[in-house]
Amino acid sequence: MRIFQAMGSGASRSVRIWKGLLTVWLFLLMLVSLFALPLKTGLKSGLGNSMITEKLAEGINVEVFTDMGQTWSTVFSALVPGFFIVLLFGFLMNVFFTGGIFSTIRGSAGKFLISDFFRASARNFWSFLVISIMIGLIILGIAFIIIGIPLSMASQSITLSEAEVYLTGMIAVIVFCLLMPVILLVADYSRAWQASSERLACFKALGYGFSRTFKTLLKSYPLMIMLLLPQVLFGWLVLTILPDLRPSSGMGLFLLFVLTQLLFFMRLLLKAWRYASVTGLAEQNAGKTVQQQPEQAGLN
Amino acid sequence: MKKQFILLIILLLTFNILSSQIINREPLSARLTGYTIDVNLDHVTKTVRGTVNAFWVNNSGDVVPDIQMHMYMNAFKSSRTTFNRETGGSPGKKSSAAGWIEIHSLTDLNGIDLTPGMQYISPDDGNPWDSTVLEVVLPKPALPGDTVFVTADFETKLPSKIRRTGYNGDFFFVAQWFPKFGVYEPAGMRYATSGGWNCHQFHANSEFYSNHSVYEISITLPDEYVVGSGGMLVSETNIGEGKKTLVYRAEDIVDFAWTAWPGYAVFNTSWEHVDITLLIPHDRTKQVERQFTAVKHALEYLAENVGPYPWPYLTFVDPPARGAGAGGMEYTTLFTSTSSYRMPEWLHMPEMVTIHEFGHAYFMGILASNEFEEPWLDEGVNSFWEARIVDHYYGKNSGLMDHPLLKIADASMSRISYISSPGKQLVNNSEYSWDYPLGTYGMMSYHKAANWLFTLMGIIGEETMNEIFREYYRKWAFRHPSGKDFTDVVNEVVTRIHGEKFGPDMNWFFDQTLYGTGISDYKVAGFRNFIMPDSTSTRRNDNPLDTILSDTDPVYNSIVYIERKGEVMLPVEILVHFNNGEEIMEWWDGKSRHKALEFTGKKKIEWVKIDPEFKIRMDINYINNSMTVEPDRVPVRRIMNKFIAFMQFFISFIML
Repeated sequence: MRIFQAMGSGASRSVRIWKGLLTVWLFLLMLVSLFALPLKTGLKSGLGNSMITEKLAEGINVEVFTDMGQTWSTVFSALVPGFFIVLLFGFLMNVFFTGGIFSTIRGSAGKFLISDFFRASARNFWSFLVISIMIGLIILGIAFIIIGIPLSMASQSITLSEAEVYLTGMIAVIVFCLLMPVILLVADYSRAWQASSERLACFKALGYGFSRTFKTLLKSYPLMIMLLLPQVLFGWLVLTILPDLRPSSGMGLFLLFVLTQLLFFMRLLLKAWRYASVTGLAEQNAGKTVQQQPEQAGLN
Repeated sequence: MKKQFILLIILLLTFNILSSQIINREPLSARLTGYTIDVNLDHVTKTVRGTVNAFWVNNSGDVVPDIQMHMYMNAFKSSRTTFNRETGGSPGKKSSAAGWIEIHSLTDLNGIDLTPGMQYISPDDGNPWDSTVLEVVLPKPALPGDTVFVTADFETKLPSKIRRTGYNGDFFFVAQWFPKFGVYEPAGMRYATSGGWNCHQFHANSEFYSNHSVYEISITLPDEYVVGSGGMLVSETNIGEGKKTLVYRAEDIVDFAWTAWPGYAVFNTSWEHVDITLLIPHDRTKQVERQFTAVKHALEYLAENVGPYPWPYLTFVDPPARGAGAGGMEYTTLFTSTSSYRMPEWLHMPEMVTIHEFGHAYFMGILASNEFEEPWLDEGVNSFWEARIVDHYYGKNSGLMDHPLLKIADASMSRISYISSPGKQLVNNSEYSWDYPLGTYGMMSYHKAANWLFTLMGIIGEETMNEIFREYYRKWAFRHPSGKDFTDVVNEVVTRIHGEKFGPDMNWFFDQTLYGTGISDYKVAGFRNFIMPDSTSTRRNDNPLDTILSDTDPVYNSIVYIERKGEVMLPVEILVHFNNGEEIMEWWDGKSRHKALEFTGKKKIEWVKIDPEFKIRMDINYINNSMTVEPDRVPVRRIMNKFIAFMQFFISFIML
């Protein structure tokens, strides 16, 4: 019951901070556009007044890009580092705004103010950065141990059949996927604690995240699964719909842009729902904890 | 004396067996060489040991003092072999990793020991450490018409790194495994100006050259092994002690290879007169229908457009992952493909490889060109047919990959590989394959040739192209054609069908493409529409759209400027589209560096396309082949639109 309460309150809290999510959307769009627009210009310049774009009517055509020769090499050489720079800045931007989101979705946060949102983002930045890096490293380590090692051993084996190697890989991936909600719970509990704490203590936050996750695993894990399932379904839907949309007019393109951005905003809402629900559950637990050990509870 | 007599009987029996017909009613080839081999596979020591009785017929007018044989397994003997020098590799640290072949005894028909006359030679590079070509000086030279019989006890150790041949655990792919004659080329054959052996060393960037031969192969090995080979199974006998002996016969093929692995599942089907066998790991049974369908497509297409597949059987192998190094290779009636346990349906890689490797049954199997010296004549020609077949059956624009996000035609992939190669102008096809500069072997052997063949087809037409190959087959099947022989067939067929439409012959084309290093690139430099100063006057232009002009609308003088940026001069079509919907197709011989096309009338040019049907696949840049007043930016904007969304979702996804 508490799970559904948390999910319900999470939904209302995530909608409450729509302005914050709009801010995240806008900044991310600007960041990606900074990279994509020069790329678009490069492509347009490479294609010039050619009618080769007819070959792009059905989607990406590798032959056309190869025909661009040196122009494509130049564009591509900018594309690869640009991609990683965008990823890096996107990561930092996400870390920054996540601090604001976790602060403003708290039960005690009150009315959403954009100034509070930015202030909380700035305040939590370094702590959230360390938490994100640590959790990222944990995910990589787990992926290496659970997927990398068994799969490489299986694929090197001359006694295992290909089906068995495939099965090993699939089991490893499934185990990894089943563990991911646990890691995400640690990340979310840690950040929820940090966002509500007076002082910046990222490692203490991580400690809280781990302890809270495992203490409440029976409640938290189903919650996380229920929150992730709609995200997975949503991702599948997007991947199914988008490739087949091929507008051929300016208006069609505009509508495609609007649709993709709406979908992305929904993705942000779903993510915020997850943050808010986990925070809500943490607050419920903290309420109990406060009664028992008031000095240790950081959440309010 | 008794021993010699027995040997003589054995050899004569061998000759008799090999001369007899089992598979085809009549010999398909001259059968200048033949082999009866009896071997044991020792799956523990990874060796094949036994006896080979072989003959070579001197059908030249020359007195030949020696024989030369391939001993190709020695390419994997040390890091100093020509093969390993060229690859920069080594056989491996353990002695069990190396591959080698040794002749323990060698005698002639009279039982005379030939080993004193044996020496390894290195005709290609003089490398003293290479022992892949064996020369045996005969006690008496072979006179014209003589048949040289030899008997050898030999032992072959398979290498552990599978590069077409070798073993991995209990998987064996046994190729280049027995002493095999080179090809004696008398003066006048191919490019030979005097008689001599054509017997090249084993190279990294090359394949092979051999006579069409008859094989009678007996293989003894443990019971549990499933065997596939380039021959027809004649008998299978359980000899006790957990072993069996399999006897295979093959006729008129250029090489005999076989594979043994306990994990194979065997599937059979047939196409017209051909019984098809597929050996594939048990896990991959889902791939069986894909593989059978692909090979039947190739049989159908090549039989219709080139010539009949003459053997009544065909075996192909989809090696397991541990034997992946054996994948994608051809031995005429046996070839290897590739796939995996869960190969997506949209990726037609297995089909492509199967069709390609089967195609080699024609291009170097039946039409046994010299792969060392003219690799384009098998790999290039075969890639051309592979692309045609794959795109014909699996989608004109999606033959190789048919995914909602990305579609690639096989012909496109071939062109991409050619035009993106930085070394496409470094060398021409008259070089031997191992002399191609670093990184150009694949492009020169496969892709450039495939693209100039597509270009040739674009110029002369598809049916003429098919007729060329039918004629090439009729003239050269089961012989050793050279590149010159192929171009002679082209010249003959093109002039027979088209007269002198393309000139007295097509050598102008081959000089530029096959034997040249130039590139082809035609460009629309621009076009302009001028309003004539006196638009009211009545004018007449010299193009097919001659019209008497009315007095009201403005009259335009429109000029299209075309450039030839590359060295290669090819005839091209130019399509000009006007604002009134009219279109004019112009033909240009493409020889001068630039050309202006002028039109006068009450119409403006809207767009121009050179080679609108993309027939000139050698053209390295299709983007500059067209120009329009109003370029369609929608596709680029759509791609970027989706790219932005992809980046947003991706960043959001990877962040916690």
